[in-house]
Amino acid sequence: MRILRAGDVLILLAGTALVGASYAAFWSPRVEGDKAIISVGHDTVAHASLLEDRKIPIDGLLGRSLLQIEDGRIRFTESPCPGRYCIHTGWISRTGQVAACLPNGVVVEVEGGAREFDAINL
Amino acid sequence: MAVSQRESEPVFPTDREDQLVAGLAALAIAIHILEAAFPSPLPGVKPGLANVVTVVVYLRYGLRVAAWVALLRVLVGSLLIGTFLSPTFLLSATGAVAAIVVLGVIGGIGRSAVGAVGLSVAAALAHMSGQIWVAYSLFIPHPALLSLAPVLLTAALVFGCVSGLIAASVDSLLRSRGNPTHE
Repeated sequence: MRILRAGDVLILLAGTALVGASYAAFWSPRVEGDKAIISVGHDTVAHASLLEDRKIPIDGLLGRSLLQIEDGRIRFTESPCPGRYCIHTGWISRTGQVAACLPNGVVVEVEGGAREFDAINL
Repeated sequence: MAVSQRESEPVFPTDREDQLVAGLAALAIAIHILEAAFPSPLPGVKPGLANVVTVVVYLRYGLRVAAWVALLRVLVGSLLIGTFLSPTFLLSATGAVAAIVVLGVIGGIGRSAVGAVGLSVAAALAHMSGQIWVAYSLFIPHPALLSLAPVLLTAALVFGCVSGLIAASVDSLLRSRGNPTHE
């Protein structure tokens, strides 16, 4: 009895192709960043991992801004500014994306992974 | 055992297939537990030598007996190791069911063109894919788990080949000894 038959070779080839495809699908460079750099004014106050869901209070120039991290994304949920532009920016997750509350001086930038763009302006 | 059987007739008499399943499942369970005793370099990666039993049983006795043996191995193995109804058990059961389904499908398509190696590789990949899917959708819905998938699938491919070669040699050994199959 031969050890390898035609069907075996076919399955081996298909299996190798499948494994190769899984590398292509799951190991492509991450465009999603994996951490956020939070700064108030010129000072970086926190490096926050986006892999862990939580809420982060940040004290800015006017008062307390609240940041929320969920599913690898981060957003402002509360801020003492008049315009609430930071909150309306919504979730950011891609490397280089920035959400900022200028009146309060709080800036959040996503870092890590492959950088597609220098900055993203929405 | 013979004595107790004479004393009281069993309500449901066992036939030859039941005894075959029981014996083969016992063998698979022994291998399963031996393997569980070895530390694993990477969580989720095991050689899967019990897969050898499933494939050899499938080649010699068909899908039904193989399915019984695989499912009994998962059930009794988890009871003996102490993981019954735990996530480990669920992963193990998913893997076994996926492997059996793929064995059935591939065997159904081209039984004569496929040998132990092909069956074993396909079963190992199905086993691993099923486990990754359940682990991702039920336990850890995090992208980091999926980026582990290529590594796990590579391991499955390699171990599938190895246990396929073992299964092929076991099968040809049994053949040369002239053990009768049920077919």
